[in-house]
Amino acid sequence: MPTLELTNPAALPADWRDFLALTKPRVMSLVVFSGLCGLLVAPVQLPIVLGFTAILCIALGAGACGALNQWYEVEVDAKMRRTAKRPLPAGRMDRQSALQFGVGLGAFSVLLMGLATNWLAALLLAASILFYVFIYTIWLKPRTAQNIVIGGAAGAFPPLIGWVAATGHVASLPLLLFAIIFLWTPPHFWALSLFVRSDYAAAGIPMLPVVAGFESTRRQILLYTFPMAASAVAPWLLGLTGVVYGVSAAILSFVFVVLAARVAANRATDPAGMDPEKHLFAYSVFYLFALFTVLVADRFLPW
Amino acid sequence: MKVEDEIIRKRQRERARIMALLLGAFVILLFFITIAKTGMNW
Repeated sequence: MPTLELTNPAALPADWRDFLALTKPRVMSLVVFSGLCGLLVAPVQLPIVLGFTAILCIALGAGACGALNQWYEVEVDAKMRRTAKRPLPAGRMDRQSALQFGVGLGAFSVLLMGLATNWLAALLLAASILFYVFIYTIWLKPRTAQNIVIGGAAGAFPPLIGWVAATGHVASLPLLLFAIIFLWTPPHFWALSLFVRSDYAAAGIPMLPVVAGFESTRRQILLYTFPMAASAVAPWLLGLTGVVYGVSAAILSFVFVVLAARVAANRATDPAGMDPEKHLFAYSVFYLFALFTVLVADRFLPW
Repeated sequence: MKVEDEIIRKRQRERARIMALLLGAFVILLFFITIAKTGMNW
């Protein structure tokens, strides 16, 4: 392909890879995984094709959220190093295309979910997309340092949707899975926002480290890990899972608390001295994957 | 100008190809969803 400097790249039809990038595939992987776990731990076994479709719809819904988020935040993304190369701020796509793609993908995912599984799952999927776009992206994120706390609910929906797609109703275990992700989100994102604080400050996003400072953020990270750990072991204590999950959840959560305590004890203000924050952020991703993997394994183990 | 036209055509071709693949996959998926929903045991 010839390379040349185009005077106006946005005037070209966007490359299909840029549409794919709009869906934030890396974020989608965690959403798909937690949705799949919700589906697998449900007491009802869906036919494989319907289970696959339910997960596909959750993935497409998450993709729609990513596209609509980038459509709305194009000016903010342009100010942050981490996001400046995305298709919209980089000028490789026009905003109208991103909006149409996001709305179309979201509507398609909800309709397909309703037709393939049940309309309660479709309603929850629609609610999660609308919550993410209107409550989190448009309303909370630019206005309050608690954006992640309330907005975290949007990311907590997938296991609930997966469960409801299989069973057709809401139960206590998927609600606890919702609670785990809801309470996991603040420490996860605040750990990240501590070492990319300058990016958020430059973009005018009122993340907690920007508004309340390092010490307060670190203290709140530690405080949130206790209810998170409690909700992680609650399924076992309530008799909803087996001992394999219970012991694993206790060990994984204990390590999380230890890493959060190291963050709380750290006094560094320069990202170079923020190894505890980086370790906690990396571990938090592993924690959720490991916890949900053990949950599914526990469901299928013979003891 | 000619090179820009070439890029536009190339992108249109690629997008049309991806769209055709996705539509084909969707048709196959709908077929299997219908089979599963009607309770046929394959």
